[in-house]
Amino acid sequence: MLEQHAAKLADIDAITNGFAELGYICSKSIATAIFIAGNLEKPILVEGPAGVGKTELANTMAQFMDLPMIRLQCYEGLDEAKALYEWRYAKQLLYTQILRDKIGEVLGGAETLAASMDKLHQHSDLFFSEQFVAPRPLLKAMREEGGSVLLIDEIDKADHEFEAFLLEILSEFQVSIPELGTIKAKRKPFVFLTSNNTRELSDALKRRCLHLYVPFPEAKLEQQILRARVPELTDALMQQLVAFVQGVRELDLKKHPSVSETLDWAKALMLLNASELDGDLVRETLNVILKFEEDITVVDRQALELVRMSEKAVRR
Amino acid sequence: MDGGARIGEIDKTLVNFIRAVRGADVRVSVAETLDAVAVVDFVGWEDRETLKQGLGLAVAKTPEEKNRFDACFDAFFAAVADSEEHELDEDERDDGPVDTDDKLAQMLLDADQSELMVVMEEAAAEVGLENIKFFTQRGLYTQRIMRQMGLEGLDAAIREAQAGEGSGQGQGQGDGGDPSGQGSGEAATLEAARARLFETTRDLVEKRLSLYGSETSRDLREGRLRRSRLGNLDRRDQEEMRRLVAKIAKRLAALHSRKPKRRNRGVLDLRRTMRRNYANDGIMFDLEWKRKKIAKPKVMAICDVSGSVATVARFLLQFLYALHDILNDVRSFAFSGKLIETSDFFKRNDVDTAVDHVMNAVGYMPTDYGHSFENFRELGFLDELDKRTTVVILGDGRTNNTDPRADILKEIHERSKRILWLNPEPPPLWGTGDSEILRYRPYCHMHREVNTLGHLERFVNELVHVVKASS
Repeated sequence: MLEQHAAKLADIDAITNGFAELGYICSKSIATAIFIAGNLEKPILVEGPAGVGKTELANTMAQFMDLPMIRLQCYEGLDEAKALYEWRYAKQLLYTQILRDKIGEVLGGAETLAASMDKLHQHSDLFFSEQFVAPRPLLKAMREEGGSVLLIDEIDKADHEFEAFLLEILSEFQVSIPELGTIKAKRKPFVFLTSNNTRELSDALKRRCLHLYVPFPEAKLEQQILRARVPELTDALMQQLVAFVQGVRELDLKKHPSVSETLDWAKALMLLNASELDGDLVRETLNVILKFEEDITVVDRQALELVRMSEKAVRR
Repeated sequence: MDGGARIGEIDKTLVNFIRAVRGADVRVSVAETLDAVAVVDFVGWEDRETLKQGLGLAVAKTPEEKNRFDACFDAFFAAVADSEEHELDEDERDDGPVDTDDKLAQMLLDADQSELMVVMEEAAAEVGLENIKFFTQRGLYTQRIMRQMGLEGLDAAIREAQAGEGSGQGQGQGDGGDPSGQGSGEAATLEAARARLFETTRDLVEKRLSLYGSETSRDLREGRLRRSRLGNLDRRDQEEMRRLVAKIAKRLAALHSRKPKRRNRGVLDLRRTMRRNYANDGIMFDLEWKRKKIAKPKVMAICDVSGSVATVARFLLQFLYALHDILNDVRSFAFSGKLIETSDFFKRNDVDTAVDHVMNAVGYMPTDYGHSFENFRELGFLDELDKRTTVVILGDGRTNNTDPRADILKEIHERSKRILWLNPEPPPLWGTGDSEILRYRPYCHMHREVNTLGHLERFVNELVHVVKASS
């Protein structure tokens, strides 16, 4: 690890503050995870419900460390041609044509077939060489001179095979390209993997990563996040909003509102010039935080009660 | 050299901790243990909060495991903190007035609790208390620790005091037998102290047992549950059983969810490619691939729900529905006197509610296989059987002397891919009394005794194998 990186990761408070300056309020457990993973140079697997800031964590890390951010979005059918490298076929074709034109000069003077083959072998085989490799995110991350932040997003969406393919990168920070051999990372990247837990990840993958679970934030933390992200929000409305959302998370819903939804809602309320929550306002804007019709009906029924509860939270 | 000793000691603490974590049902591999060592090296032991977070990152890999890990960490380091605290006190010990020659007796008389704990911890380490595995070992370890602390000396001191009092004052002996009474003599005091010592030691042993022993005793318990007949299970085991079934089902699901990809495109079919390209002058222009057929396997489970069979049926269905990711088309039927389809009950409710529903609907009737098979045909399920369907029948084949209607089973046999019959009765009972199983058996591709969780696990595993292999 470079000295400047080590200095930034020197202690947990420095990380918390640095992230806060970039607008990412992290809990103690997140800061500790960054601290330990950064110093031990281990990949972190971040799990948690959608919208709690898993991807944002990697983004902020890249900003904080002042490193390029390389993102690999996983999906079903993702393979190594899209994740690691591909050959530049057009360039390779051009190369063979040039070779054909020049072959006379190269072999100049050779009389027999064996002699010309000998001459041909003296020239290095450029066809499968680094010049013709088109790097994809993983290879790019390996080649960054100054290190990088590599985000492998939503790994649970990729196939099992791809998961197995990642193992070499995660444990050794190297990749194998059959034609070129093994390529080691110039500098170990900070690796983040995120998962929404749509399926169970393999034990082999989990074993190679530190595991960070990011739950929905507590009320206090959520208020801090709101203050950092939507600074024009008044204190009273913010407290009320957070209390309301926290109340909604207690209900039995298909999908609970996440931090990103709270932020969207806060912004929407600012646009509407709202100064406090009331039953009507909540009903009209409920679709910002809830994404399913059934959920809206459930919350709608209890809206007044939740508003009353959130008012109480403010008075306290 | 001091540093070396310290590192060895720390490693032992960490190794013990990892064992305790494993006991709390968190899976920790060797690689993760090494990560934990790296975390400890980096973070140190002083900052407990950071240490907890850090070890949690390295060791616990699901939210549930995190919870268990946190609880285990608190319990473990509370115990360690206890012993450390006592170690600190060690310097402060002062020598009180000497009443007896024995060290342990002296300590008890001084009622110096902290010093006593230090000695006890030392003794516990000496006899290897961290190796305790079973609750039956409690007495053994308690005795060993007390002996290590110098119990024999104490006993001798008590005897001596009793003898001294007995010869000196007559009434001392009478009080000596009653530890709760105001011990007038030294012997009584010592006896009471000995009893206290026993209680304290036992407490310590029990605490450590719950920390270190839970792994083995859990394995033991689960092993027993796996092997015992489902019909004979105790009510209090039901909860544990449900957890175990969920655990096994999860493992089976993980085992079978790896599906080979590109199953719809195989290798080049040279023969067909050539034939197809005769028109192109033999230049292979249109490629023809060998195709693998994707068959959607169906499983139909028909369960007898009378008495002991119902318990087995409950777990079988629990398994089948837990595996719905792999077995995408499972339908279940239940019968005793008549037959109904129960797929929806089990899909919508948890197993207990579903079983109750089913029992209310068809349970508590004398089993009538013939009538139930007729129902199966009348309700049109026979027509839904096809060559991709695996039929699993669970029942003892006891027909209460009614017509077994093996002809319908024959029809099922002809229409489906295979029939697997699970029988909760052990083989010696097959065909005895009103059991018609021998008449059904010729139409079954497999007929097997299934009455423990272990049997069920093996069966479901094989079922998934054959069902998937044929797809």
